[in-house]
Amino acid sequence: MRRGMVIDLEKCIGCRSCVVACKQHNAQPPGNWWNRVFTPGSHRHLTPPEKGEEYFLPVHCQHCNNAPCEKVCPVKATYRTEDGMIMVDFERCIGCRYCMAACPYGVRQFNWEDPKKAMEKYEYQQDYSYGYPEEFRLDGRLVYMPVRFKGVVEKCNFCAHYADKGLDPACVRGCPGNARHVGDLDDPDSKVSKMIRKKKGFTLLPEKGTRPNVYYLPPRRKEG
Amino acid sequence: MSTSKKIGFLVTGLLMLAGLAAWGLQLKEGLVLTHMRNSYSWGLYVATLAFFVGNAAGGLVLSSMIYLFGVTSLKPFARIGALCAFANVTAAMFAILPDIGQPVRLYNMLLHPNLVSPLVWDVIVLNLYAGLSLLYLYLLMLPDLRGPLARIAIKVDDPAAFSEKWAKRLAPYMLVAAVGIHVITAWIFATQGARDWWNSAVMAPDFVAAALASGTAVVLIVCVLTYGIKEQYTAAYRALATFIAVAFFTHIFFMYNDFFIHAWYGSTEALDVLAITFKDYLPAHVFEVLAPLAGVILLLNGKVRKSGAAMVSACILLVAGIFVHRFLLMPGAFDRVPLTIAPLGTQDMQWSMPIASGQYNPLGNTFVTSWQYFPSAIEIAIVAGVLAYVGFLILFAIDRLPIVNAQKEST
Repeated sequence: MRRGMVIDLEKCIGCRSCVVACKQHNAQPPGNWWNRVFTPGSHRHLTPPEKGEEYFLPVHCQHCNNAPCEKVCPVKATYRTEDGMIMVDFERCIGCRYCMAACPYGVRQFNWEDPKKAMEKYEYQQDYSYGYPEEFRLDGRLVYMPVRFKGVVEKCNFCAHYADKGLDPACVRGCPGNARHVGDLDDPDSKVSKMIRKKKGFTLLPEKGTRPNVYYLPPRRKEG
Repeated sequence: MSTSKKIGFLVTGLLMLAGLAAWGLQLKEGLVLTHMRNSYSWGLYVATLAFFVGNAAGGLVLSSMIYLFGVTSLKPFARIGALCAFANVTAAMFAILPDIGQPVRLYNMLLHPNLVSPLVWDVIVLNLYAGLSLLYLYLLMLPDLRGPLARIAIKVDDPAAFSEKWAKRLAPYMLVAAVGIHVITAWIFATQGARDWWNSAVMAPDFVAAALASGTAVVLIVCVLTYGIKEQYTAAYRALATFIAVAFFTHIFFMYNDFFIHAWYGSTEALDVLAITFKDYLPAHVFEVLAPLAGVILLLNGKVRKSGAAMVSACILLVAGIFVHRFLLMPGAFDRVPLTIAPLGTQDMQWSMPIASGQYNPLGNTFVTSWQYFPSAIEIAIVAGVLAYVGFLILFAIDRLPIVNAQKEST
């Protein structure tokens, strides 16, 4: 079993529902976003670039098979689960941020200050809290907590807390266009494997040799 | 105690306290007090680690030149070499401590070390080198451990011969450990394929070359300040100056060799990265080359070497240039986000995928494609404190321990 994701760029309408669902469900503190969607080539989202075709690109942790973040972590706080997901153990992380220097996708975020303090500073409504309300442990390791420690790194955990309940990640469930799909990349007959094969799936920055478990399907050329 | 010594202790002591206070504040509030953010996740602290690791090369240079290559004129300076090595390698570790978000969890390095992480190797080899240089210093001082210090001297029949024999035996291990700290510190950066600016096979050799230049210059500064300019040291100072020059020119060769190859091939990504240093940071780049070059030209001049003040200034120029060189590790790696793509249907542009900065900005964009980093006052205060520690430790050791040979007092 190798848990992977396919994002169909043809179906992505750039609405950023996945970004918001991810931010909310995973209780990301002010200023941190595990997931982001932009319009390649354009300085403004949802605006066609001067050159090239308009399409929308969502990027979050690519859960690489050759993950530099996993290799550089001095304390194995960033680790790989048996089914190939890259996790951060919030209790183990020492906050050296080597993984952030190592990641070519820029998906790792740091808790530069206490999240509660940040929410006060940025005038969030008092006592407002959001996201999955309980801590979640995978093999005894703390891979999700609603209020993060100050000074630790965080990033997409492939919604391990929802997978445990048999649910798809928040971004998949929040996508109005069904552009996102999760499945087993080791199984050649799985839906995701078939999509990658038939629709010429590709990965980001293949030249970096990271071999991501997140695949993208190219947008078709628009007619006219 | 002389007045200048008192002032030295006072200034370095106060700076250390200020640095500690700044670190305390940063521990309480978080690294939000620095100017680093998600897209620019390493800054002055890591650059300073690299700087002090490089400066620790002095011990290796002295011990190898004396005991492996037989440059006996340097013998009076062997203890200063070992002391500077210890002071700088421990300073490197102090410089990286405030960069850690959860320093109380550092014990995880012992409980769960990840043996493929270059950072783990670096921690091991830095501690090893610190221990070795301390041991080396002790061995070199052994014949002169008298009076109250006799208590810490091991009892041997002939301390002078014992010290000489073991210093010679340890010298090759010092060499390996010293080359180790530079190579492994460089590998922390050079192994990272995500950052084109670092991902180069020449980085480790270049790191060693720059370290040999700045590490030797640090030792030379302390030698000139303690021993002064005397006839019997002329040969030693000339040897050190020549060594600094050779190391510096090797560093310049390695650095431009790398730039040249990338610039010639001219891939958009490589040119983008080079532009950061050659356009955005041009004044800093000019300084990192010309300041040490001026220092080296001065040091190579026999007349300049007749003036202590001129020699110290020349060395400071060189060390300052290498400091800027270490700082320039960061902009080339972090000024632009690494995830760039040529949008579908184009090939003549590289577009950067914005990153959440980690700081909510009510007036501007939270997502950034570049981050203008300059260290905050807190970062500068902490690093100044670490620098003061090096000065304090060297002053203190020279004041209390037989670092400067007894024969100096008699002349």
